[in-house]
Amino acid sequence: MDERSTSGDEGLDRILGGGLPTNGINLIIGLPGSGKTILCQQFIFAGATAERPAIYLSTVSEPFEKILRYAQTLSFFDRPAVGRSVFYEDLGPAVGGDDGLAAVTERIAALIKERRPGIIAIDSFKALAAFAQDAREFRRFLHNLAALLTAFPATSFWIGEYSEDETRTAPEFAVADGIISLARERMNQRTLRHIEVTKLRGSDFRSGRHTYRLSSDGITVFPRLADPVRQDDYRLSEARISTGIAPLDRMLADGYGPGSSTLVSGPSGSGKTLMGLHFIFSGAANDEPGLIATLQENPIQLEKIARGFRWSLDDERVTVMYRSPNDVYIDQWVYELLDLVDSTGAKRVMIDSLSDLQYASPDPVRFREFVYSLTQRLSRAGISPIMSSETPDLFHLGRLAEYGISHLADNVVLLQYLRADARLLRTVTILKSRASAHDPEIREFEITPDGIVLGDPIAGDHA
Amino acid sequence: MADEGGGSRGVYSIGAVARMLGIPVATIRNWEERYGAIVPERSPGGHRLYSRDQIEQLRFLAAQVSQGMSAADAHRLLAEQREGDRHLGSDGAGGDMRLLVLLAERDPVAADLEQFFLRTEGYEVDVALTVAEAEERWLDSQPRLAIVELMISGGQGADLCRRLKQHEGGAVIAISVLEGRDEALAAGADAFLRKPVDPLELVSTVKDLLGASALVARGGHENR
Repeated sequence: MDERSTSGDEGLDRILGGGLPTNGINLIIGLPGSGKTILCQQFIFAGATAERPAIYLSTVSEPFEKILRYAQTLSFFDRPAVGRSVFYEDLGPAVGGDDGLAAVTERIAALIKERRPGIIAIDSFKALAAFAQDAREFRRFLHNLAALLTAFPATSFWIGEYSEDETRTAPEFAVADGIISLARERMNQRTLRHIEVTKLRGSDFRSGRHTYRLSSDGITVFPRLADPVRQDDYRLSEARISTGIAPLDRMLADGYGPGSSTLVSGPSGSGKTLMGLHFIFSGAANDEPGLIATLQENPIQLEKIARGFRWSLDDERVTVMYRSPNDVYIDQWVYELLDLVDSTGAKRVMIDSLSDLQYASPDPVRFREFVYSLTQRLSRAGISPIMSSETPDLFHLGRLAEYGISHLADNVVLLQYLRADARLLRTVTILKSRASAHDPEIREFEITPDGIVLGDPIAGDHA
Repeated sequence: MADEGGGSRGVYSIGAVARMLGIPVATIRNWEERYGAIVPERSPGGHRLYSRDQIEQLRFLAAQVSQGMSAADAHRLLAEQREGDRHLGSDGAGGDMRLLVLLAERDPVAADLEQFFLRTEGYEVDVALTVAEAEERWLDSQPRLAIVELMISGGQGADLCRRLKQHEGGAVIAISVLEGRDEALAAGADAFLRKPVDPLELVSTVKDLLGASALVARGGHENR
């Protein structure tokens, strides 16, 4: 009962709660080009054996030859398996005959007896409906086919281009044990692909939309990072870790708590990146590995900045992960980040900037969930993230970060410009420091070759 | 399969074959056209001439069809038997040695598949779709083994197992889509299999309980 069939992709298997329950009828739905056929072939080549082969049945909308031609371009397509553990058959002649859909059931029954398959795929299943005289005949066909596929231990895939409306009315959706839907949406000039499991009888699955990519390796799914809210997230430790700026540590009662997350918010050029570098390199100086995940500066630009303050990215305790903001998919990005954190043993992580990630998010709710899950995951592992976020206005402070992100951070540091006569002052304020006392005054600071140097508290009424 | 009598030589007319086997001439022609499995020699004048081997094969087909199998499945079974170069006799000459299995199954679709897989292994299968029918067959034809679906006749499968085991005779395999091991064993079943039943598992369980495969049993009988 608990047997599972692997999809050939680790991410998708995780969403399915460890793979697809075997012997069910599964619908794979989506628009043309969404990768339905690829996904199905992936299941087939991952699961077919000579003893329990897979049968791939093309119907009328997908020409037999075409399916084969494209299948062979996939890296997992195993030529020697074809004819041994994977059989391609054309249902077209059966459908086109006088007996119509009854001939389809008969043909499948014959194939079951002949091949004893472990997997049976029908592509396109939706196209079969057009060959029924009326809705009654199609329902009868569905009933008979489902009875046949239930009586024999095989996992079935029915593929079709069903619309949202059809998923509510088409009878095959009631028959199906599992429904996997593939979709695309346009977002900020880019196409975002997402996969969603909407039904999976007898199994838990990870709900919601998950990003996936299509390549010659098939479908790669990035399960959306969505950690449940936990009560035990806050460890109230006496230990503190330095911000890398001594006077700032004093304003924070000796720095940040380990595993706490810090949001540095401020306008362009106010010193957010520099504050992050202080944090990372002061950790490195104490043998705490650090990771800089940047979407702002490429490694060459970043090295130039670091050298300006007598640091270097050649430091082996510091790792840089640069991704262009134009080509970032947050769900893929976050797995790369977590993998690197894991492999480098990083204790401090700088994310520069949240604003870039937010731009790549499908929607505000998802972005908030994403940031929450990421910070919680790092926090539970005792890793401290410092995240920058750009405020839109130079002087007037409208809000710190979009979508309530500042509520998710344990510490919030605000960088601001103030007009002072003919000068522009840079100032820093600790807005929040969870579970510890902090000094709420506004302090002036300067950027020198030694980095950020704090000045006196600002008196009077500036800004 | 050739013997001293020249089992593969065309000898008999289609009319003679029809009379011998009790199959209409039209059916024999129809099978030939449709499945092309048994194609007789032709005389110079174009008349069909059947060999003894072909008559055996037709007899095999007729026996399957008379037991409720479709002509298509019977031909498929014939092809499987030929592939394994197995003996096709089911003419009762083996009398007490034939391995008859009673299949008490509520679902005709599942029954069709299960009986097919058993037949490909050389078993004869009697299908009963109700408890009453199954019990009657058990007493009448005394099969060596029964396969009982626990949900048959509204869930009377366990009772059926119990009653079958009370009579002298064969082994009982209970099958069900539900977890029914305790229920099955308490009712005296010798084995339990979860549905949908894997064909290989079904056949090997039957073999284990009967102590020998149908083909070996037959072969042994012939050699005696």
